Amino acid sequence: MQPALSFEQAPPISVPYRFFLTAPLFGVVAGLLLALLGPAALESRWAPGALAMTHLIVVDFMLQVMCGALLQFVAVVAGANIWRPRLVATLVHPLITAGAVLLASAFLLEQQVLFLLAALTFAVSLGLFLTVMAMSLLRTPARGMSIYVLRLAVLGLLVTVVLGVILASTLGMHENLQSVWSLLTLINVHVAWGLGGWALMLVIGVSFLVVPMFQLTPAYPVWLTRLVPAGLLLVLCLWSLQLLPGLAGAQAWQSAVASVGILLAGLYAAVTLWLQSKRRRRQADVTLVFWRGAMLALLAVAASWLALEALPQLGSHARAPLWLGVLALPGVFLSVIIGMLYKIMPFLNWLHLQRLGGMATPPPNMKQMIPESAMRGQMRLHFAALLLLLAAVLWPALATPAGLAFSASCLWLEWNLVGAARVYARFRDKIRAAASVASTS
Amino acid sequence: MPEPRVIDGRGMEPPEPLELAVAELGKLAPGEELVMLLHCEPLPLYFVLDRNGYGYRSELRADGTNEIHIHKI
Repeated sequence: MQPALSFEQAPPISVPYRFFLTAPLFGVVAGLLLALLGPAALESRWAPGALAMTHLIVVDFMLQVMCGALLQFVAVVAGANIWRPRLVATLVHPLITAGAVLLASAFLLEQQVLFLLAALTFAVSLGLFLTVMAMSLLRTPARGMSIYVLRLAVLGLLVTVVLGVILASTLGMHENLQSVWSLLTLINVHVAWGLGGWALMLVIGVSFLVVPMFQLTPAYPVWLTRLVPAGLLLVLCLWSLQLLPGLAGAQAWQSAVASVGILLAGLYAAVTLWLQSKRRRRQADVTLVFWRGAMLALLAVAASWLALEALPQLGSHARAPLWLGVLALPGVFLSVIIGMLYKIMPFLNWLHLQRLGGMATPPPNMKQMIPESAMRGQMRLHFAALLLLLAAVLWPALATPAGLAFSASCLWLEWNLVGAARVYARFRDKIRAAASVASTS
Repeated sequence: MPEPRVIDGRGMEPPEPLELAVAELGKLAPGEELVMLLHCEPLPLYFVLDRNGYGYRSELRADGTNEIHIHKI
């Protein structure tokens, strides 16, 4: 059964918008950082610049949007009461923004105190966010596969944050937790839960609802909606066994477990592309193209992973993880996020303006909220930047143009989203002015 | 009884049917009916109808189409 959408529960528009409007700015910063640092940032996944850029993207871009969208989505789709959404957003938004800036600075400047401050900031902000989300999702009477998968995604974020806080504290105290866990083991498990258990699980849960609804495709097959989330969870639990003493070095089973997880992700991408090929309308809007690009990138992640496993000489190359990282972060997750932002913001504008103005002052057409040509132009630049970033992994001399292209794409996105927010503000003021004239006459 | 206005939104991408419906609501005369044909439950539309004094009933056809009859209260 699909969960009912409950628009009476929608939080104020300022709650999600503060997250949505901040996120692309950190994409701009990440791109500029790459342009500035040049090839040195792409030496390996352990290069300080690579670590700083990665966290600017995963926390300040991806997590920002995902937190804002979840506050909206859980209230509307799960019909769940979110505890004081405005207060939660007011506390969480600046803290996670600051936390990621601290973390990125800590990697770049190699300052222990910054790691500790970042750990503290994330523990407080995401601890609050996770508590509020978990309470809402556990109490909601709504049922359905999307709700179940959203709960798994929130669990994924919890594990990611706990491990991330342990890692940042370890780096901050300059003590290696060698006696308990090696740093590499902690990082392996942190990355897997962050990308697979949180980000991908959230995309999967949301897609079960929005792909059939917005892209006019048939529903996802029931077997897939059961197999992929549960399978991913099992893979992540097995992968985490390396934290147990004595199991850290068992390479063979770890590789097999990771490959099963990658194959599940690839299967999900292939089924999504197949459903999109069966859609009832031929015309492809920007959101659909972003989703297709993301699913192709996810297939490319799976194919690259298997190729790197099969060819150990290539797989052990210092830049191999960067190839996978570029495909996964800007390729899969940012493509889905940008595509969804272009759908969500016009819709939220329209819905909130309709609620304010009623039938007397109809809101503008949703297609007028962000010009189609601006969205298409930005989308082309996003995919061009993605190709340049991939090329820069192969030929690091391209790091500067790739960084600048990515930065420009994020700046254009910000411009488009600010434009949508301004359309909202203009019509809201118009409705209020009309109401005050009506009340005085 | 006047002929109902019909919006067949089955081949349209959301939120186009919602916008068309809201545009038609303003033209609906008392006693007149607006019929929408959709492949999904238009929950945002129900929200708009509830808030603006319109009544509705929906029927699920055998082919999976939702037929929503809307009238002014």
